[in-house]
Amino acid sequence: MKKSKAMVSYKTAEQRKSKRDKYYKILSLVCFFVLWEGFGRINLDKMWIEPRFLPMPSEVIRSAITYAQDGTLWTHMEISLVRVLKGYLWGVAIAIVLGSLIANFRAADNIFSPILNLFGPIPIMAFLPMFILWFGIGELSKVILIAYSTVIYMVSYVVEGIKNTDPALIRSAKSLGANPLQLFWHVKFQSAFPNIYLGIKSALGVAFGAMVVAEMMGAFTGLGYIIVFSKNWFKMSDMLMAAIMIGLLYSAIFGILTLIENLLFRWRKAASGSAIEK
Amino acid sequence: MSVEIKELYKAYEERDEVMQYIINGLTFTINDGEFICVLGKSGCGKSTLLNLIAGYLKPDKGSIELNGEEINGPGADRGVVFQQHALFPWRTVSKNIQFGLNMRHEKNAKEIAKKYIEMVGLQGYENKYPSGLSGGMQQRVGIARALANDPKMLLMDEPLGALDALTRDTMRREIERIWKLTGKMVVFITHSVPEAVYLADRVIILQSGQVAVDQRIELERPRNYSAPEFLAYVKQFEDVITDSALKNVMHE
Repeated sequence: MKKSKAMVSYKTAEQRKSKRDKYYKILSLVCFFVLWEGFGRINLDKMWIEPRFLPMPSEVIRSAITYAQDGTLWTHMEISLVRVLKGYLWGVAIAIVLGSLIANFRAADNIFSPILNLFGPIPIMAFLPMFILWFGIGELSKVILIAYSTVIYMVSYVVEGIKNTDPALIRSAKSLGANPLQLFWHVKFQSAFPNIYLGIKSALGVAFGAMVVAEMMGAFTGLGYIIVFSKNWFKMSDMLMAAIMIGLLYSAIFGILTLIENLLFRWRKAASGSAIEK
Repeated sequence: MSVEIKELYKAYEERDEVMQYIINGLTFTINDGEFICVLGKSGCGKSTLLNLIAGYLKPDKGSIELNGEEINGPGADRGVVFQQHALFPWRTVSKNIQFGLNMRHEKNAKEIAKKYIEMVGLQGYENKYPSGLSGGMQQRVGIARALANDPKMLLMDEPLGALDALTRDTMRREIERIWKLTGKMVVFITHSVPEAVYLADRVIILQSGQVAVDQRIELERPRNYSAPEFLAYVKQFEDVITDSALKNVMHE
């Protein structure tokens, strides 16, 4: 029996469409890997490109299984994860404190902003050798590099967020009896929080970048190290495997951050829709 | 309880080293429980006056005293209702109303908020966020938030200016009802003459930073917009405002 087509609101239709879009996106990924695998298999025969330099997805999976079975994959992943989280979380905390000081006190702005502006544009790669000499070849220099790059990137999100607090909200809080500390915490920080959270999410990429750089220079563990190590032995599939694992770690943490975001900012969803119905 | 405004001056800028006073030697008194509407065309200094009483601006000369104490900066004794509601978007209706109470660690904040939610007729919306409310409801929350703090007076800066005509009419009646319930002093800024005549005990018209008219409205409440006495007041005030506007045009 044929179901008659029921009338649905624009919103419901839009939700259905976005569900369908999700399947299309998955399909695109599947096609990509199938084409890659197919090209690789034909390439084995025709030798357009040296096959050692273009491993197929199946070989990458095989590398992953080998590394997983002898346990080295988990060790390296855990080391990378702990490193990046330590540096990232310290960086986020320092950026929030530093940004709050800069946004609230003219003196802090005059002291810290010129220094941040001086060092901000320098790529972190340039600092790693110095950090190794200062803080040693161990964990400390790597964690500091990750934290440093997170702070440099995130501070402006915190400062801008706090400075852009609607003056009417500040006035109304003052007239409701808020003292300066309450004004900061209950109004300025809350109002800046979406912007600060945007900074937290974007800084994750920077932190991962710093982690990989730190692990590729002067490290003997971690996913970045696997890439350098495998390069020396022309193990393309191991390199790709490590790169993909970095991507997966990043996506997992980013996913968690997005989940937290949806819980934190439910108040923003009350009145949202598409700009123009199509 | 009263507010004394004495010889008040405020300028935003100087031209050729002469201060351009937007409030120019203003003097008047607000008596206990009085509902005052301040009228005037834009640029006459009515919003500046409200910001001075609220303490957001500092006078250049003169003083404002609330119960004999000079006003120095904003404070919880003067509740403010803004034209653009200025509610905290991350707080629910109930949490917005509790803000002032939370700031002084009032233990019964929730119960007090509940009382004011009922007073402004927002039962059932306690847990909604401001962005999910209509303009009229947002303004009700703004009024409840200011009142929950139990201020000595209420300052309202064109609170109905952003609302549609029908909602405005309902809100005027609501404001009159709530004012009667609480008996607080109110300074209400508006550019609608009928609104001022409907609400005020006393209408003050500002012109170039001075009191041009200070008129008591001797009409029974609730007032009837089409009564001849009502229309006479409206005509009287409109004449003053447009007359001065005409003079200004000819001046230029």
